[in-house]
Amino acid sequence: MFNIIIGQYVPGQSVIHRLDPRAKLLAVFLFVIIIFLANNWVTYALAIIFTLLGVFLSKVPVRFIYRGLKPIIIIIIFTFILNVLFTKEGELLVSYGWFHIYEGGLIQAVFISMRLLVIIVATTLLTLTTSPIDITDGLEILLGPLKKIKLPVHEFALMMSIALRFIPTLLEETEKVMKAQSARGSDFTSGSLKSRVKAIIPLLVPLFVGAFKRAEELAMAMEARGYRGDVGRTRLRQLIWSLSDTFLMLVTLFLTAALFILRG
Amino acid sequence: MDITIKNLTHLYHPNTPFERIALRDINLQIKSGSFVSVIGHTGSGKSTLVQHINGLLKPSRGEITVGDVTIKAREKAPRLKDLRKRVGLVFQYPEHQLFEETVEKDLCFGPMNFGLPLEEAKAKAHQALKLVGLPQDFLQRSPFDLSGGQMRRVAIAGVLAVEPEVIILDEPTAGLDPMGRRDILSLFERLHEEKAVTTIMVTHSMDDAAYYSDKVLVMDRGQVVMMDKPEHVFSDSKQLKQLGLDIPVTMNFLAKLNKKVHGQSVRPVFSIEETADAAIKMLRQGRGETGHV
Ligand SMILES: Nc1ncnc2c1ncn2[C@@H]1O[C@H](COP(=O)(O)OP(=O)(O)OP(=O)(O)O)[C@@H](O)[C@H]1O
Ligand SMILES: [Mg+2]
Repeated sequence: MFNIIIGQYVPGQSVIHRLDPRAKLLAVFLFVIIIFLANNWVTYALAIIFTLLGVFLSKVPVRFIYRGLKPIIIIIIFTFILNVLFTKEGELLVSYGWFHIYEGGLIQAVFISMRLLVIIVATTLLTLTTSPIDITDGLEILLGPLKKIKLPVHEFALMMSIALRFIPTLLEETEKVMKAQSARGSDFTSGSLKSRVKAIIPLLVPLFVGAFKRAEELAMAMEARGYRGDVGRTRLRQLIWSLSDTFLMLVTLFLTAALFILRG
Repeated sequence: MDITIKNLTHLYHPNTPFERIALRDINLQIKSGSFVSVIGHTGSGKSTLVQHINGLLKPSRGEITVGDVTIKAREKAPRLKDLRKRVGLVFQYPEHQLFEETVEKDLCFGPMNFGLPLEEAKAKAHQALKLVGLPQDFLQRSPFDLSGGQMRRVAIAGVLAVEPEVIILDEPTAGLDPMGRRDILSLFERLHEEKAVTTIMVTHSMDDAAYYSDKVLVMDRGQVVMMDKPEHVFSDSKQLKQLGLDIPVTMNFLAKLNKKVHGQSVRPVFSIEETADAAIKMLRQGRGETGHV
C-alpha cells in the first residue's frame, strides 16, 4: 500500500550512491533551476539525457522508479491536457466544436510535462541514492554559513533527520495498528465515506499515543547521553569531497552553460 | 474450524528492490479444537504465517482454507469480515491498539463492528472483562490510566468479547512479569479446554510451547521444519539447537540429572509435577545402581 517512492532510500554501491551528498544536493538544486532555461527541443533533450544518465548510473531498477512515479503521472497528464486545451498559439491542428488544439499548445504541453517529469525524477533520484542522514548532514554543512545570521541551522537539520528517521517507524506502526483494528472488525477499505472517516479514529489515537511516547523517550535518551545542542559538537561521519564530486559539479555547470547558449 | 494451508508462499513488497520472501511453500493442517504452538528463530516467518489465518495477509502463491472460507493467491478474497469474527488475533503488545475513552467502549468496539447492538455488545464486554480477571469497576476507567499488565488484559478482553472460535496469539506474554504470564496463559488454556477454542500461539518460550500445546510447529527461514506432538519435537535437541532453539527447562534439568546419576534416559515431561516424579524415579534408580557396586 505504501508504494510511493518519493523520499525512499534504496541502498546501493553505484557511482551515484557514492557521490558526496553536498555535490548531489548542489547539482540537483542547480538542475531544478536551470531546467527553466530549457525552451526548445535541443535544450530539453540535453536535460533529459542528463537525467537518464543519472538513472542509468544509479543502477536503481527503472521498473521500480516507473512504478513509484505512477501516482504522479496522473498529475502530469492533467497538466498536459490543461496546456493542450488552453494555449492558443501557432497553427490550428484539430478543431471540433469548442474544442481546438493548436500546434503551440501541443508543444507547450509536451515541454511542461517533460519539465515536471525531469524535476521529479531528478529529485527522486537524489533521495533514492542518498541516505536521509547523508542528506541532512549535507544540508547542514551547505547551510552552515547561515548560522552567522543566527538561523538555527543545526536544530533544523536535527529535526529533519529525526523526522526522516521516524517516517518508516511511523509507517510500520500504522500498518500494525491497522492490522490490529482490522482484526477487530474495522474496515478501512470499503463502506461509505462516513464509515471510513470513522474508522480513522481507532487508527489515529494509538498512533498519536505511540508517537508522543516515543518523542518523550527519545528526548530522555538524548539528554541521558549528553546532548546539549550544536556548540562544540563534532561529527562522527565526515563527508569527503572526491574527484567524482568535482566532476559532477563541472558537468552540471557545463549543462548550465549549454542551456544558456542553446536556448531559443 | 479446520485450517488447511496448501503451497503457501508469501512475499513482502513484491516486485521492488525490497522484495523479501517470508514464507516458502508451506503445507499444513490444524484440526478444529487443537492447541498449536508455533516456535522458530526470530524472523522465521511465524507472525507472517498466522496473519494469513484471518485474512490480514494474502498468499502470494498457494491457498489457505479456514472453515468454509478459502483465500487463494491472485483471487479476490471472500467475506473477510465473517472470517475475522470467527478468528480472533491477539498481536504482540496488543495494548497498543486501545483507543477509546473508557475500557467499556473499547471492549464494545469489536462486537459492534461485527454487527451486535450496543446492549448485547456491553454484555459481551462485561463477560470478557470477567474472563481476564479484572473487576467490573474497570469498565468506566480510561484504558490509558492502567498499568501495562492491566492494559494487556483489557486488550485481550477486546478480542475475546467477539467470542471467536479460533484464537491466534502472537507472543501474548512478551514483557509481562511471571505472575501475569501464568495468568494469561492459563486463561487461554481454560478457554481451549472449556469451549474447545482452537488456539494457535506464537511463542519464544519452549516451556510454554511444550506444556500447553497438542502440537508444536517449528519454523525456520520461512519453512515448516517439524509439526508434531511436543514429546517428539523436543526429543530432538540437536536439531533444535541447529535452528537456534532449545528444549524446555524441565527436560534440560532431567537430562543433566540423568548424566550425574547415570540413569536410563527418560521420556519427555513438561510440567513441574511430572518432572519431580521423574527426578525421584531417576534418583532411586541411580541409588539402586550405586548400591549394587
Ligand atoms: N512488513 C514487512 N515488510 C517487509 N518485510 C517484513 C515485514 N514483516 C516481516 N518481514 C520480513 O519477513 C520475515 C518474517 O518475519 P516475521 O515477522 O513473520 O517473523 P517472526 O518469526 O514473527 O519473527 P519474530 O520472532 O521476531 O516476531 C522477516 O525476514 C522479516 O524481515
Ligand atoms: Mg513475530
